Amino acid sequence: MSALRADASAALAIARKDAIAELRGRQIAGSTLFFATLVLLLFGFALGPDSRRLAEAAPGLLWLAIVFGSLLIVARLHQLEAEDGALEELARYPIERHAIYLGKLLAGLAAVLVLGGVLLPVVAILYGIDLAAAWPALLATLVLGAIGLAAVGTFYAGVTVRMQAREVMLPLLMLPVVAPLLLATVKATSAALTANALGDLGAWLQLLIVFDVVMAVAGAATYGHLLEE
Amino acid sequence: MGTRVLGIVALVAVLAASVNALFLVPADVNQGDAQRIMYVHVPSAWLGYLSFGVTALAGIGYLWKRDLRLDAVAVAGAEIGVMFTAFAIWGGMMWGRPVWGVFWQWEDPRLTTTALLLALYLGYLLFRRLTDDPHRRAARAAVVGIVAAVDIPIVHFSVEWWRGLHQGPTIGSPDKVLHPSAPGLFVLALVSMVVAFTLAWAWLMIRRYQLARIDWQIEEHGRLGRISAARRAVRAAATTPADGAAEGA
Amino acid sequence: MQDLGFIVAAYGVILGGMALYAVLLLRRLSAARRASLQVRRDAEAGLPSPPPEAEA
Repeated sequence: MSALRADASAALAIARKDAIAELRGRQIAGSTLFFATLVLLLFGFALGPDSRRLAEAAPGLLWLAIVFGSLLIVARLHQLEAEDGALEELARYPIERHAIYLGKLLAGLAAVLVLGGVLLPVVAILYGIDLAAAWPALLATLVLGAIGLAAVGTFYAGVTVRMQAREVMLPLLMLPVVAPLLLATVKATSAALTANALGDLGAWLQLLIVFDVVMAVAGAATYGHLLEE
Repeated sequence: MGTRVLGIVALVAVLAASVNALFLVPADVNQGDAQRIMYVHVPSAWLGYLSFGVTALAGIGYLWKRDLRLDAVAVAGAEIGVMFTAFAIWGGMMWGRPVWGVFWQWEDPRLTTTALLLALYLGYLLFRRLTDDPHRRAARAAVVGIVAAVDIPIVHFSVEWWRGLHQGPTIGSPDKVLHPSAPGLFVLALVSMVVAFTLAWAWLMIRRYQLARIDWQIEEHGRLGRISAARRAVRAAATTPADGAAEGA
Repeated sequence: MQDLGFIVAAYGVILGGMALYAVLLLRRLSAARRASLQVRRDAEAGLPSPPPEAEA
């Protein structure tokens, strides 16, 4: 049991370190929020001005913006260490590899949650949809989606961290894998916003839970092989 | 040369099964002659998925045994798998246009899952190309392959669920040819094509595996050659006196 | 035959593609065997060989 506690505290320590570095630098938060909002604006230009069409497309556009934003988030979180060679340093400490993975996952999760939280009202304003009634379901979808994105993103960021073409390889590898997550979150969000679709909502949330668990386990189990070289 | 025999047998089998599928088997009542495309689409899809499974398993094997021969199997599976997966999508589209009226149907779980499979494969191959050190490349590719393989069932599942929300295509389902009540001749034609394609796949895998091993040997010997040449150059420079007098032993 | 164009397109690309890949594979294989022999001779003679193309 104490080994588990050691892992958990190591993971939390890493997550806190990343969060502090981020708050000090404000690099990831600011630029990512800006980018995601720009994406939503451009979608408005691309699909507008018909407000009904935008309102129908809103769940999809919201989650596309979140997915693109999370690419930036996880890439940046890994670069924090890679630039100074600190990733190798981290690997030498006597903590389990999966604790490193989980720590980075938690940091990424927090960032994506903040991103989603900010984008929800932006979407409500830009595309004219009413969020108030459905907020518990929307929150649940956001949390589950963010966990999946953080799990997959942290893994692939670790894979590509020292590669030459990492800016393009990260999206290239990550995006196909998150296709089912995108499908499920968008469907869940639509279901949440449609008054009478609770059965669907449950099914999609279940799929998200399965995705999150499978990806987090796979990522934690294999992350160690990425650090040892 | 067992492989050569295999190759010839595979070639004959594919030709024979194709002639059968195109000219001897009767056309389908509902889908017409277009249904014949299923006889090449289904085996291609099956081999695409099989290859991916081989790549993922070979990756796991490499992580366990650290034998680069397993990595050679993995890259063979990926390259050949890309090819068959692309064939499967192409066949699906060529079938879809006459039968569905459109080249693409989002709700067909097999088509969309196969498209994503292709994307995952291509990412895997591109990723391999960008890493030089053989062992690092093998380990990282193995890890990427495993996570991708784990994603495939989830993708399939989610698209099926997606389809469930709208009424899926009922007439003109590609699965019809696999249905247990399909006429015996159809089943026979499909099975014989699957067998023929699988033989061809086995031959291709063996040859591609051989190529991968030779490529690796070239890398190794080239590296060793450059190292020993460098050593020689350094030794020669160390023993040659600076004033250009006759070289020492 | 109805829909002949689609059938020809399907079979042509798939069977033709397999054949093309097989031919290219055999050529790559014989080129690699020759290169491997050359590199090994170079290595034994102590000559450096140029780095190979990045592997697929």
